[in-house]
Amino acid sequence: MKVYDGTQSTDDDQGTEPERIKVGIAEYKTTTDDAVLTTSGLGSCIGVGIYDDVSGAAGLVHVMLPTAEDIDDGNRAKFADTGVEALVEALEDAGASRASMRAKMAGGSDMLDFSESGSSIGARNAKQVRATLEEFDIPLVGEDVGGDHGRSLKLDAGTGDLVVKSANTESTTL
Amino acid sequence: MNVDIQSLGTFNQLAHEGAQQATQSMAQMTGIDASVDVTKITLVDREDVGEALVGQDFVGVQFDFEGVLEGDTVLAFDTDSADTMVDALIPGGSDDEAMARSGVEEVGNIMMSGFIDGWADYLEAAIEHSPPTYIEKSGREVLPETRHPDDHEQVFVFKSEIEWVGESVNFYIYMLPEYEAFAEVMTEHADTEGDAIPIDKLHTFNEMTTSGTQKAADNVEMMTGIPTEAEVSQISFAPITDVPKQIGTDTYVGTVVEFTGVPSGYLLVLFDEVSAINVAEAMMPIEMDGDELTDQHESAIEELGNIMTSGFVDGWANVLQTSVDHSPPRLVHDMGRSIMDPLAAQVGQHQEHAFIIDSRMKTDDIEFEAEIHALPNEQELRRALEDLDVERADETDADVEQIFE
Amino acid sequence: MPDVLIADDSEFMRNLLREILEEDHTIVGEVENGVEAVEVYKEETPDLVMMDIVMPIRDGIEATDEIKSANPDANVIMCTSVGQEEKMKEAVKAGADGYITKPFQKPSVIEAIEDVVPS
Repeated sequence: MKVYDGTQSTDDDQGTEPERIKVGIAEYKTTTDDAVLTTSGLGSCIGVGIYDDVSGAAGLVHVMLPTAEDIDDGNRAKFADTGVEALVEALEDAGASRASMRAKMAGGSDMLDFSESGSSIGARNAKQVRATLEEFDIPLVGEDVGGDHGRSLKLDAGTGDLVVKSANTESTTL
Repeated sequence: MNVDIQSLGTFNQLAHEGAQQATQSMAQMTGIDASVDVTKITLVDREDVGEALVGQDFVGVQFDFEGVLEGDTVLAFDTDSADTMVDALIPGGSDDEAMARSGVEEVGNIMMSGFIDGWADYLEAAIEHSPPTYIEKSGREVLPETRHPDDHEQVFVFKSEIEWVGESVNFYIYMLPEYEAFAEVMTEHADTEGDAIPIDKLHTFNEMTTSGTQKAADNVEMMTGIPTEAEVSQISFAPITDVPKQIGTDTYVGTVVEFTGVPSGYLLVLFDEVSAINVAEAMMPIEMDGDELTDQHESAIEELGNIMTSGFVDGWANVLQTSVDHSPPRLVHDMGRSIMDPLAAQVGQHQEHAFIIDSRMKTDDIEFEAEIHALPNEQELRRALEDLDVERADETDADVEQIFE
Repeated sequence: MPDVLIADDSEFMRNLLREILEEDHTIVGEVENGVEAVEVYKEETPDLVMMDIVMPIRDGIEATDEIKSANPDANVIMCTSVGQEEKMKEAVKAGADGYITKPFQKPSVIEAIEDVVPS
């Protein structure tokens, strides 16, 4: 009979490759270990990366809709307002201070917006992220929003670099 | 028999939490970090279950379960991830066949309990599961055999896809409840006063979709001369935030339309890039140089998407004796998930879960595959199902001659 | 040769129709939506309009309705991917003289035209 004692027999040598943490739709993740946070397939959704150089904490949230007022199903990370709020709180729990947080965002494309009047969900998402960051007094130091293409993101927690990749173009770094 | 949206949501959540519980058990035992990517309920022909598995070799464990729910479940690891798992469990274990096998069985057994327990708790009744049966099979064969081989039946399937963090390997949990017992449980938990959906009409709708896919495939064949076969048609139910994950992260070319009427929603016709070029060239009278996607290719794809869309939705309109209008097609060329994302967001403004209708067609002659996905508004799909006269299910074709006599 | 106006938002489809028709017809215009179809119809009064249904700005059924109201003798053949009975009835009501469903083969287009505008 085997006995599992919970010890790790092999601790995989990860080398210098930073850990990659995947952030799904309507999810947020934080790290304090210089990991790389990634999220993919942003259309009208927005990825907001917030990092704090002082504490070394960083996080990424992938929001889908502007505000929880639209349809509240208890998942804070689904909405721009509560998603940013949840991420800021989680970073504070990880030791970050609001005063030294910086934010970057990308996504919010207008692609496939069939609404005939008013602004697209992508534009409304971006507007809400700006408003919520402003409420928390967190400077938005980089953004790549709008347009008619999808994006995938990589946030380097060590440097705060946000790399934006689209299907048909070269990647850019915010 | 009616089932309401809320209980579909609850059952999906149970399966998702069960898969999470199972994954967590495995993570604790092996130290491997894994997370449940998607869980969805699908209504599909029994023989079409497990399309995602085709072309891979698996090891896994099967169980049957009985009690308030009856049926079969399988945990399927592709061969590489099984080795990784066994080695994490017992270093060097994957070299020792008997050891590897016992490792998989062990992990599977514990995972299975994690998966089933949540259901039993929710249903406040016991569900027993059998000891694990170890299997090594390829593709769909990893799934349990049907208990009703002679019936051409549609079944509900719960499928969870679990992703190994930092690796490109996945594993799957399939749960195939016996239809009758499951429908009974769902019906018992339905709030029929509310937003109930008659399950038998969902079947009929699925059959209409199959014939719509066949029509779309026939249209492709007529326009390109390439014999095209309709493959799978299914209707799934998932949280709105999982909807974009129904499509891969590869780049696709295709068309998107908004359709209005009962039901309303969005419809996507997508081709991978190679298929897009191949099918567009088959439509064009002249040979094209190079293998780039040009404006001419895109124009051909746009029209093909338009015609496939009509082929797909006309059957609904004719059976429902209504009209379903659609917008002119918008050409898309982007990562699959980014294409679905804004559509899910638009639908998600009014609903927490969504039905997704998926179809696929392919040809053996050249490399060509097309996917059709429809994302109907939930309220209107329900209205459409209410209006659906099951007797008219095969009246998908309009009679032009009779109307223009 | 009879004059024909082609109304279809797909460039691909306009090319295809042009290739089928130009041998025996004079193509007086190719337009991309229902508004342009009505305008060009009024300028050119062609013998026949090949009219798509799903088009931006204004659809082919509305355009047909306006053309037929202005000139009941106009000949309009719907040429569309839509194969819904209700739509066909709407087309008949708007005054359409024929209905071709895409994808089509050349002989069926020629035959439909022959029925509506005998040569």
